[in-house]
Amino acid sequence: MLRLVSRRARAQWPLLAALLGVVTIGATLLGTCTLLITRTAERALEVAMARAAPAAVDATVYTGAVEGPDVPAVAADTRSVVTSALAPLPVTTTARASTVLRALPPALAPGTSVGAQAYLSGLDDLPARAELVTGRWPQHPGDAVLLESTAQLLDLIPGSRVHLGAELAHPPVPAIDVTVVGVVRPLPGRGWDRDPLAAAGSATGYRDGRFLQPVNAYGPFLMDLADLLTTGATVDRMEITAHPDLSHTNRRDLETVAGGVREADRRLAGTLGDRVTLARVASDLPLTLRAADDQRHVTAAVVLAIAVLGGFLAATALVLAGRLTAGIRADETALRSAVGTSGRQLAATATLEAGLLAAVAAALAIPASSALHAGLTHLPPLDHAGLTVRPAIVGVQVLAVVGGALVLAAVLTVLAIRAVPTAGDRGTRRELLARSGADLMLTVFAAIGWWQLYAQPSAASPRADAVRVLAPALLLTAGAALALRVVLPALRGVDRLAYRARGLALPLAVAEAARRPQAVAAGLLVGLACAAATFGLAFDTTWHQSQRDQAALSVGTDLALTLGTAPAAGDGGLVSAATAGAVSPALDRGTTVGQWLGTDGEAPRLVAVDTTRAEALLRGRVDGDRGWADVAATLAPRTRVTGIAAAAGASLVLSGTAVGDVPLAVTPRVLLQDATGLRTSCTGPVVPLDGREVRLPACATADGLRLVAVALPVTADTVGEPVAVAVTLTVPAPGSTERTTDASPWTATSAPPIPSKVGNPSVTLSSTPTGTALRMAATVELGGAEDAARTLVASAFTDPGPVPVAVSARFADEVGADNGSQLSVMVGITPVPIVVTEVVPTVPSAPGAVAVLADLDTLSRARVVVGDLAFPVDAWWVGNPAGPDAAERTAALHLGTVATREAETARLTGGPLRAGLPGALRLIVPAAALLLLAGVVLHVTCDLQARAVEVARLRGLGMSRRGIRTVLLGQHAGVLLPLLAAGTVVGALATRVVAPLLVRSDTGAAPVPVAQSHWPWSAEAALLAVLLAGCLLAVAVVVTVQVRRADAAHLRVAP
Amino acid sequence: MSTEPLLRVRDLHRRFRSGPTVVHALRGVSFDVTAGSMVALVGRSGSGKTTLLNVIGGLDRPDAGTVHIDGTDVTALDEDGLSRLRREKVSYVFQSFGLIPVLSATENVAAPLRLARVAPAERERRVALLLELVGLADHAQQRPTELSGGQQQRVAIARALAASPRLLLADEPTGQLDAETGLSVMALLRGVAESEGVTVLVSTHDAVMMALADRVIRIQDGHLDDQATGQPSTSAPNAG
Repeated sequence: MLRLVSRRARAQWPLLAALLGVVTIGATLLGTCTLLITRTAERALEVAMARAAPAAVDATVYTGAVEGPDVPAVAADTRSVVTSALAPLPVTTTARASTVLRALPPALAPGTSVGAQAYLSGLDDLPARAELVTGRWPQHPGDAVLLESTAQLLDLIPGSRVHLGAELAHPPVPAIDVTVVGVVRPLPGRGWDRDPLAAAGSATGYRDGRFLQPVNAYGPFLMDLADLLTTGATVDRMEITAHPDLSHTNRRDLETVAGGVREADRRLAGTLGDRVTLARVASDLPLTLRAADDQRHVTAAVVLAIAVLGGFLAATALVLAGRLTAGIRADETALRSAVGTSGRQLAATATLEAGLLAAVAAALAIPASSALHAGLTHLPPLDHAGLTVRPAIVGVQVLAVVGGALVLAAVLTVLAIRAVPTAGDRGTRRELLARSGADLMLTVFAAIGWWQLYAQPSAASPRADAVRVLAPALLLTAGAALALRVVLPALRGVDRLAYRARGLALPLAVAEAARRPQAVAAGLLVGLACAAATFGLAFDTTWHQSQRDQAALSVGTDLALTLGTAPAAGDGGLVSAATAGAVSPALDRGTTVGQWLGTDGEAPRLVAVDTTRAEALLRGRVDGDRGWADVAATLAPRTRVTGIAAAAGASLVLSGTAVGDVPLAVTPRVLLQDATGLRTSCTGPVVPLDGREVRLPACATADGLRLVAVALPVTADTVGEPVAVAVTLTVPAPGSTERTTDASPWTATSAPPIPSKVGNPSVTLSSTPTGTALRMAATVELGGAEDAARTLVASAFTDPGPVPVAVSARFADEVGADNGSQLSVMVGITPVPIVVTEVVPTVPSAPGAVAVLADLDTLSRARVVVGDLAFPVDAWWVGNPAGPDAAERTAALHLGTVATREAETARLTGGPLRAGLPGALRLIVPAAALLLLAGVVLHVTCDLQARAVEVARLRGLGMSRRGIRTVLLGQHAGVLLPLLAAGTVVGALATRVVAPLLVRSDTGAAPVPVAQSHWPWSAEAALLAVLLAGCLLAVAVVVTVQVRRADAAHLRVAP
Repeated sequence: MSTEPLLRVRDLHRRFRSGPTVVHALRGVSFDVTAGSMVALVGRSGSGKTTLLNVIGGLDRPDAGTVHIDGTDVTALDEDGLSRLRREKVSYVFQSFGLIPVLSATENVAAPLRLARVAPAERERRVALLLELVGLADHAQQRPTELSGGQQQRVAIARALAASPRLLLADEPTGQLDAETGLSVMALLRGVAESEGVTVLVSTHDAVMMALADRVIRIQDGHLDDQATGQPSTSAPNAG
């Protein structure tokens, strides 16, 4: 038997080489995909963890209220616990600690009736968290540096000595003297939000639980941590953050660390005991690892689906090759049967040959898949994701390749022992029924697969399931089979039509195309491969577009600068200069809707920007052909606020009078707007309404500011009859080029909660030699409580009424809102009435969230008219920033953290945990094209070899070589063209109905916005051109050679 | 029957090279065949019968010598001329029938008519007539694999006659048929040759065929060793 196989292999080596090629390609594809979902996926997890933001992997231990003598030991024990929790990874730790408040000398904070307190803080990496403005860093015991704001408030400079009073404790903790050696500016994003005063430098009315009454707090006095720990001061809060080095980690270590972190709380409590009143370990590392693992599974599921598709393709190619082989060997098989070879012996021979083929194919495919995988990792996007590896062989890859080769060999064996139809055979009823049944089953399975995909919950598991893995291959195969059902009858129809032709070439070509039994297998391969290639290309585009859509919606704009601290007037100008784009301050924070706090701890989001520039600013897909400009048209105010131009650096002057003897005073608050729409409020000192002028020097601090609102809370020490008051605010005019007067409709109102407390409010504008005078008048009701709110508000706009908003579909669903619904959202502490004017799928920067989109100007106006001049801003949003380094220039402003749509897109499309998917898609397209061309060459070659006699007979009939070439080319073109077209249609339909369902988010949930299918016309046209040209070239070459060889010698050969 | 030679073969030589070996298939073969006659070409296997038929039909080219069919020098024709010759004057009946498997009997018979671009109506009339002539009118839509060997050869004969050739070359047309079927095929060939006025040159081992022929030409080792005129030989070899 072995001898037969060996001799036959020598005689039919081209045929066996073709079979070997197909099995090897299939097994190689399988091995490469296996490596993508194992080796690359593991590597991706490691790279992703190594690239994770420190906050995502750090472990921080918070301890509270540690008495001075215990502080050094608690710090050391805490470091030990957190370090061991992160073992075996190398760890670096940083620590910060803040003491309880101590009394400041009264001379440092005069004029306050409440006590002034200060605290010390120690940071062991202070120079990395702050920028030295003046002086030097602490070097000696007792050295301290101050934040700029603290130093200004307390009027301290380097060299100043400060005596911080004793702690009120038992036993008493003595006072501490520190020397101010420098002034620093906090750097954004360096953890200053965890400072007791969030790096504000001071806080009035501060409560920390140790004092019955609010105090005015100042600080921190920043010292070297080691110095602080030895002062004996009671530490109010201490944080020790451990950062694991994940640059050379592996999955097992990561799992160990995640487990250690989860156990760390218990160990910490046991170690620290009652030396602390609070001890807690916080780390996102387990969550980060789980999220990375989820993403890995999401990617693996699609890569697996692609591998299955490749397997289907290879199996189909093998079916074709097997049928052709069996056809060529039909005579030999008949002869062996005639000489007494049993069916079992025939099967054994076939199995032996197929097994040997599988062994050789596996031996070739294992190194080939390793090399292909390594090569793939050296190409984008895998190389950009840091996933480059050298060729290596792993166990699971060997198993997959060997298993795949054996399955394909089994297919070959089955085909070898089946009866082979010959040319001219008509399909028997049984065969037709069997094929119809197979097609029907395939179609049913495909339909079930599609329905399962379509009906999967939006929060489906990230892990691969059989439906998601098999559905694409099933759908494409069923589509190709059904297309064949259409193409072959269509060819038969053409066959009938062609019969009417007078010549022979056309009807013969069509008859050959329509009636040859091999056309079914070849047709299935051509259709499926074309469908797979076009689908692969389109799915790649669909997936990338979905990632871009997700990135756009996630960031909400082109560039978002999330602020670490409240913005200052003029910051918008800096951002504009850095980005050269459309800049708007943005509000992006949680809110409440009436009394509703949201569901599952997820607060409703309130997003507000300058919607008059929505088209330039807002990103993310809206339904249909609408854009954000269309949505924003209902949100933007009809007129812009211009206000009164104020000279930069000049003091606003306020004076007022009250009729009668009742002493009244106002604490003026003014709201100024810069060119970018940012509004900053400024609170002046208490101004008695006695006619004297008071200057407000710290308000107009930047160029281009315009006064847009004034709030005058009137205070009175007594109650009595209504009093008429008149207040004049003079705004110094800037240079002559700027407009000083204002055409805005300045309006005066009385703010809630009891508007009747201020009657007859009025405001007028007039020009004066020094600027613009804003004269406000009202009658103040002095009845009721002395401290009742009586606020006169003058604004450069009228009350906007309910703020028009667009709400997300989820908001509408959960709140039960619709167009016209009137609700209320909290902005800060002020309820703002809103009216729903539009329901959009989702709101920029709040994908899938319960969210509200409003115009920031209108929102601000709604707050101003009720006396709330605070302008809530969380970020700067920039549309159309100029140049690729706009993000870097913006980050260099040190105003906050920068996120860009492009960076998010790059993360989503080329991140290590995702790059495997486009990599696999780039594998399936050429693999499908290769198998298609191989199948075509194999089919044409075998067909023409089998028909060499027929070609010679055609010559015998008097047909010229040219005529024969025309027949053969026409025949193959007649089969290939409709099949390629049908395959393209199947690929397009699969793209339409399946591709969007295969795109999932990081967590395996449906992406937001919902993925839409995209058909890259130019790329698909190029692919089809390549496939068509390849097919026709292969056919033309084979036909030409075959026709040239057709001579009289063939006429002596039996059919 | 005309006495003018339809086929004139003069001093034909054909050699084949197989590695270092040179095989002389034809060595100076010369003979004439008058129009309307049926001539049997007899010889052992390898004697050069098929080569001679292929050279006469223009499927192969001689190394030397000439072949004239109806006054046309076949050896001087180019590829297109040879194709035209086969379409218009010469047709073949092969031992292995030579039907196109994917075409039905009707379509096979119609093939030469299509090559000659005969009008469809005339083509259909002619095909029906020929199938009737060979007794296969009831099998017109069947494909070759659905016909017996004898039926296939009848279809082949009908196809060979379709374009009304002047010369029909038949290469052992009964080689794959049993004796009874072979006899009926031979009788058919004889009959259609007479009815259609076609000159038939048939290579055969079959003594019955020789008996039906007007003349027997014997070929051995590439040259003619005997010629019979008018009467068929009865001493033909039994095996080739």
